[in-house]
Amino acid sequence: MQLEERRVGNVIVLDAKGKLTLGDGDVLLKDKIHSLVQQGHKNVVLNLGDVPYVDSAGIGEIVGTYTTLSRVGGTLRLLNLTKRIHDLLAITKLLTVFETFTSEDEAVRSFPAAV
Amino acid sequence: MADVRLEITDGHGRRVVRVDTPVFTIGRRSKSDLCLAGTDVSRDHAQIACDGGRFILRDQQSRYGTFVNDQPVVEKPLAHGDRIRLGRGGGAELLFLVDEVGASTPSGTSRAAVSSVENLRQMAALLEGLRALGSGHVLDEVLTLVLDAAIEVTGAERGFIMLANAEHVLQFTLARARGRVTLPGKTWDTSLKIPERVFTTGETQIVSDLRDGDLAAAHLGTVALGIRHVLCAPLRLVRYLHESGAAPEPRRIGVLYLDSRDRGILLSPTARTGVETLATDAAIAIENARLYRETLEKARLDQELRIAAEIQQGLLPEPRYVGKGLEVVGASIPCRSIGGDLFEYIDLPSGDFGFALGDVAGKGPPAALLTAALQGMFMAHAASEGGPAATLARVNQALMRRAVQNRFVTMAYGIISPAGQLTYCNAGHNPPMLFTRGGVLRLEEGGMVLGLFGHAQFAQATLQLDPGDVLVVFSDGVSEATDVAGEEFGDDRILSCIGENLHLEPAALLEHLLAGVRQFSEGTIQRDDVTALVLRYTGT
Repeated sequence: MQLEERRVGNVIVLDAKGKLTLGDGDVLLKDKIHSLVQQGHKNVVLNLGDVPYVDSAGIGEIVGTYTTLSRVGGTLRLLNLTKRIHDLLAITKLLTVFETFTSEDEAVRSFPAAV
Repeated sequence: MADVRLEITDGHGRRVVRVDTPVFTIGRRSKSDLCLAGTDVSRDHAQIACDGGRFILRDQQSRYGTFVNDQPVVEKPLAHGDRIRLGRGGGAELLFLVDEVGASTPSGTSRAAVSSVENLRQMAALLEGLRALGSGHVLDEVLTLVLDAAIEVTGAERGFIMLANAEHVLQFTLARARGRVTLPGKTWDTSLKIPERVFTTGETQIVSDLRDGDLAAAHLGTVALGIRHVLCAPLRLVRYLHESGAAPEPRRIGVLYLDSRDRGILLSPTARTGVETLATDAAIAIENARLYRETLEKARLDQELRIAAEIQQGLLPEPRYVGKGLEVVGASIPCRSIGGDLFEYIDLPSGDFGFALGDVAGKGPPAALLTAALQGMFMAHAASEGGPAATLARVNQALMRRAVQNRFVTMAYGIISPAGQLTYCNAGHNPPMLFTRGGVLRLEEGGMVLGLFGHAQFAQATLQLDPGDVLVVFSDGVSEATDVAGEEFGDDRILSCIGENLHLEPAALLEHLLAGVRQFSEGTIQRDDVTALVLRYTGT
């Protein structure tokens, strides 16, 4: 999986591309989030539009991202879930945890404005 | 042309040095052409000068004198077979040998015979080494054979095998000395520069004198030992590729390093050819032994995993259970030897029957460890007052206290009363399918996966079973099994697999489902643990 970072206002948008599975992308995502938090960023939009497959380790890492950001008072928004990821989050009932969006603009605007 | 040699016998054994300079110096001084230790040897003890075809030994005012055939001498022309002694005896004895090329004297013939015998001995040593390489399985044995053969062939005093580690840094693997002895210790004074250069370039390097040129400064320690002469050859592995057409790609795995105080035959072309031949075959043998050892280690690991797998299967309940008003059968097939799925049956104190199926995120040993812990947690809370939702809430709390970060569990837990009342809670698990006369119901009530959120809430639902109803609980290894084209087995195939065969006994139904998955994914590698449970309510 590849991860590209963009900055939109005070929000970081991460465009993920490729599989997010055990040993493929999970560590990358974790390291990226940790470095963002260290730089003081805490509001992240994870764009999963180009992620065709996520396994349980990937789900675990998305939850890890959510937890890490929550701990520093931030939030994670999920953008452009594929049907597969949507179904997986529905079955595991994790959809109730995440706020999901189909529009980047709305996702970015959903964060509280910077003080 | 005469080939003039000194055969030296001293505390280090026997070795041969060529007398090939106009003035050949002998003494304790390290710059001597023949450097000898010993209390009786003066720093500049004697020299052999070549004078118009004759070789004249001159004592250099040594403290303890020079003797030829036990007679003290100051200056004496040497003849073949003369014995030279330095000092009072007990030290080194030198035998002066001359080979006249094309000489026809009887003694010349015997000397030529000696020389060819020596060559034969070299060849024999080489062949012995090579033969042994074919059969050697144990790495240490192979290394020892290679090194002894190399020392024998070259007449070197010491030999070292340095193998590259994972970071491509050369490390001493074995050190041997003449006489087939292992040198004790972990590191030795050898050149570091030469092996590195040989390893990098892949070119054999022969150094006739470590004191020459840029080498001197880097080799003070080695030179102090009297070591002058070095032959270092790469251990080159020619990999045989499976695809024809591709050029074999040589890979260097280390170096063979030989050194000596006396040049002996170390620097001869025969020695070089011999060592290079040996080094190529040795590299293959070393690699084979290494692979063999890895295979053994892997076999041991496999054996441990097999035992772990037996234990894991042993932790599962008997697959088939017949209780009051119901019959259930389950199976769990890990995709590796051990897995992260489990199923469990429990006779509750109330007289009800409980069944559960869980799936720990991940596969293999890491998931299996958590599965065993999960099993314990589940059993501890299975009979919780408040039913399946209360049980799973407690299991969630227990996992939150213990669980590894971001590892979660999906689980479905149901309790059936003898009267057919089913109460269940589904914690993020693929919804079980209940086949009734009125159609198929999916059991979705419950909560999110276990082990991620401490505040998670769980709900349960109750419904009435009719005799003949069939409940199928499965892990995602069933629904997400893929065929060669990458298509998933999917819920629809489970529905038809079971739905069209409801007349079968639970055991036959389960087998039918598993066979369906097996056939579907034939030709692919099983990617996830496959676990399923088929329960039929028979009624009272």
